[in-house]
Amino acid sequence: MNIHTTPQRTPAETALIDAFGERLSLLPGDGAVMLKRDDAIEAIKNGLPTRRVESWHYTDLRRLLNLNPVPDFDPAASPKAIAPVVDGSAVLPVLNGVSSAKVPDIDGVAVQRLSEKLTDGSIAPGLDSYGADDAIGALNTAFVADGYFVDIADGTELEKPVELQNLQSGGQTHVRLSVRVGAGAKATVVERQTGDGAALVSSVSQLLLGEGAQVTWLIVQEQPDTATHLAQFKAHLGKGAKLTLFVMNAGGKLVRQEVVVKTTGEGADFTLRGINLLAGDTHTDVTMVLDHTVPHTASTEVIRNVVTGKARGVFQGRINVHQYAQKTNAKMACNTLLLSDDGEFSTKPELEIFADDVVCGHGATVTEIDHDHLFYLMARGVDEKTARGLLVKAFVAEVIEELEDEAIVDALEARLDGWFVTHG
Amino acid sequence: MPAVQETIDRVRKIDVDQYKYGFQTEIAMDKAPKGLSEEIIRLISAKKGEPSWMLEWRLGAYRRWLTLEVPTWARVNYPKIDFQDIHYYAAPKSTPGPTSLSDVDPELLKVYEKLGIPLREQEILAGVQKFDASELEEASDNVYKSGRVAVDAVFDSVSVVTTFKKELAQAGVIFCSISEAIREHPELVQKYLGSVVPTSDNFYATLNSAVFTDGSFVFVPKGVRCPMELSTYFRMNEKNTGQFERTLIIAEEGAYVSYLEGCTAPQRDENQLHAAVVELVALDDAEIKYSTVQNWYPGDAEGKGGIYNFVTKRGDCRGDRSKISWTQVETGSAITWKYPSCILRGDDSSGEFYSIAVSNGYQQVDSGTKMIHLGKNTSSRIISKGIAAGYSQNTYRGQVSAHRKASNARNFTNCDSLLIGDQCGAHTVPYMEAKNATAQFEHEATTSKISEDQKFYVMQRGIPEEEAIALIVNGFVKDVIQQLPMEFAVEAQKLIGISLEGSVG
Repeated sequence: MNIHTTPQRTPAETALIDAFGERLSLLPGDGAVMLKRDDAIEAIKNGLPTRRVESWHYTDLRRLLNLNPVPDFDPAASPKAIAPVVDGSAVLPVLNGVSSAKVPDIDGVAVQRLSEKLTDGSIAPGLDSYGADDAIGALNTAFVADGYFVDIADGTELEKPVELQNLQSGGQTHVRLSVRVGAGAKATVVERQTGDGAALVSSVSQLLLGEGAQVTWLIVQEQPDTATHLAQFKAHLGKGAKLTLFVMNAGGKLVRQEVVVKTTGEGADFTLRGINLLAGDTHTDVTMVLDHTVPHTASTEVIRNVVTGKARGVFQGRINVHQYAQKTNAKMACNTLLLSDDGEFSTKPELEIFADDVVCGHGATVTEIDHDHLFYLMARGVDEKTARGLLVKAFVAEVIEELEDEAIVDALEARLDGWFVTHG
Repeated sequence: MPAVQETIDRVRKIDVDQYKYGFQTEIAMDKAPKGLSEEIIRLISAKKGEPSWMLEWRLGAYRRWLTLEVPTWARVNYPKIDFQDIHYYAAPKSTPGPTSLSDVDPELLKVYEKLGIPLREQEILAGVQKFDASELEEASDNVYKSGRVAVDAVFDSVSVVTTFKKELAQAGVIFCSISEAIREHPELVQKYLGSVVPTSDNFYATLNSAVFTDGSFVFVPKGVRCPMELSTYFRMNEKNTGQFERTLIIAEEGAYVSYLEGCTAPQRDENQLHAAVVELVALDDAEIKYSTVQNWYPGDAEGKGGIYNFVTKRGDCRGDRSKISWTQVETGSAITWKYPSCILRGDDSSGEFYSIAVSNGYQQVDSGTKMIHLGKNTSSRIISKGIAAGYSQNTYRGQVSAHRKASNARNFTNCDSLLIGDQCGAHTVPYMEAKNATAQFEHEATTSKISEDQKFYVMQRGIPEEEAIALIVNGFVKDVIQQLPMEFAVEAQKLIGISLEGSVG
């Protein structure tokens, strides 16, 4: 995994390797799955990525994981169930890394516990990492014990969202959420990542979109500032499929959210909207790798960041346009409001283009609040604090409002308000 | 000369090859044996008649270099370089200074002729000593109607001649080869050499520090506006040599200087190494403008041969309100690996980077800039235009960072890429790092091809396709061309046209 062999293991690496030894007998999986686990722990034994590994340049996992001790597994931890983000959603909870045997019936949707898929080995091919520096994939493959496999049948149109909850209350949890959406199906999925403990969480979501499927996927991450949250979202978009991914990071001590998307069918359309609300002494990294592999596909990404306190934020976005992928239309923007002198934000929007008949662009800005805007409001008698609050909120709310569904917009704005209340 | 004629004929036959500077010159050369060792460095230093501190400096760099590894992070692929298979020193055999053109090695004159340098200027370039002031005046009047240019010509490893020295000296400007500066102005060299690019900076800069053989030295004293454009012309001629030049430009308080470098090399099957270091120092209120027209041999249509251009260029805006501006037109070299950077240390200092990188055939370009904001109220501007055609790979790689104390840092970056053909690649890798809330960074990048509409519009007016494309491309790069000194803007435009020939249709 790591080009630099590291002779001395860090405490975090040792803790992970030891934990693997202890957990091994409890981990479900047939021969194929166990072989994948062995490969994965081998990658971790070779060392966690450092800043010398390009895709981890701004998030030195090897160093950062050592800042907080890696917690032990805690079988006694029992997080409380919580209400879904959008009222009326069908909830599929994973509590402390364990899925529920009793899940609601949804028409056209087959739900299976991931532990079963691991035991019978049918999920094994999906456990491969996507590249040499895929540390999150390796960590998850080594330890994953449960999660859900959700199969939405062809042509199914879900009225209400499905909420996949990954709740922790300390210890280590490693969860995988796998969703297949059949041809022509429509669905909204909420991926909820939260809890109240000093945890190490790895969570991998896999989404397969069939021909003409339309999915809105919302990641709502609100971990406490004691948790390390390492997450990955991987999707393949079939012909004419449309995916809108919304990511909201509003918590966590050390957060890395990877988004790995591939358009594999012509006419596929990918939209990413993200807001990162950063406060305290935390580190949040959103890294996207988007592959346009076939002709006539489109993508747009808009990321908005608000940095306060001593927070450090990172956005890396790489768009690869393969040689065969003519007529690609790809646009990416990353805007950051840096509100404190102790905060920092680093961004690396990359374009790698091998096809000539394309329109690709990216833009990135880092700035403070526009003084003219502030003056405009204050000239109308709004005090400075309120005026700043309004402007910052408008800056991120703009992204939420692009989601068409009113219930979702309202629910997300409520969460946004909640963050502003606690973080001033 | 049969060898030269042969080369030219061969070039003509290969019509995809547009490189017109691919002649070689059979001049008596004085070469060091192949390979690199402390002995070779001692030899170079001795040949140059350098003081002992300079030799120690070189040896220190060499020892450091032995511990370094070849950098691999750039998007360029090339076979491993055997650093022991290169001549680190090659110089035209020294003869007593010629007194008239007829005394000058006719081969050297032929070189200038091929490069289209007028006779008077040739005389000056060849170092004919018989000048008196009036003749110089006349020469300059004839040659430089549009503004005078002082030239320092570097042939393989050695600076052949520097023109207009006297006139520059009257203004207090020192413009000479770096070897001469080491001998004549050791206090200045010792003070500034390595202060911007330290010997330990990177693999190629360290190699250069150990073995650099020549280059230009410019010193513009306090309050002086350099009366003419300064220019260096680099040519790599001898087989299996590496060219390692070192340029050091210092502008004292309130000084201004504009400097241009041009490069060519003959066509050869094997690759040649060029690893230069350029250091600029601008003190309070000083301004340095550095322009490059790089046209090293890019290799043939199959990607064979060509120059490996691994260059470290860095400017230090050391003083308050200082300004450094880089402009580059890159059309040559098989591989380009260069990132002219600005360290904005002084308060209110500013840095600029304007670049056109054209790649065709199997060329690989990985170029960009770094703007490091350290002082207060600093600003920087980056305009980069990449054009990729044929089978080439063209990468922009840049970094903009504002440190904690760099309040009100301001940056604007625009990098656009144009793709011609579906076998080439264009890549953009910008890094933006803000550690200060008052920093204001903007970055935008686009990649596209020439749209059918644009082409149709031009062709519909009776302009053939190839010309139409050249016209659109020149429009695309206009922002950068405007930054070049006038005389070179025309040349650069032609060069871009030549580089892209054969890429259409």
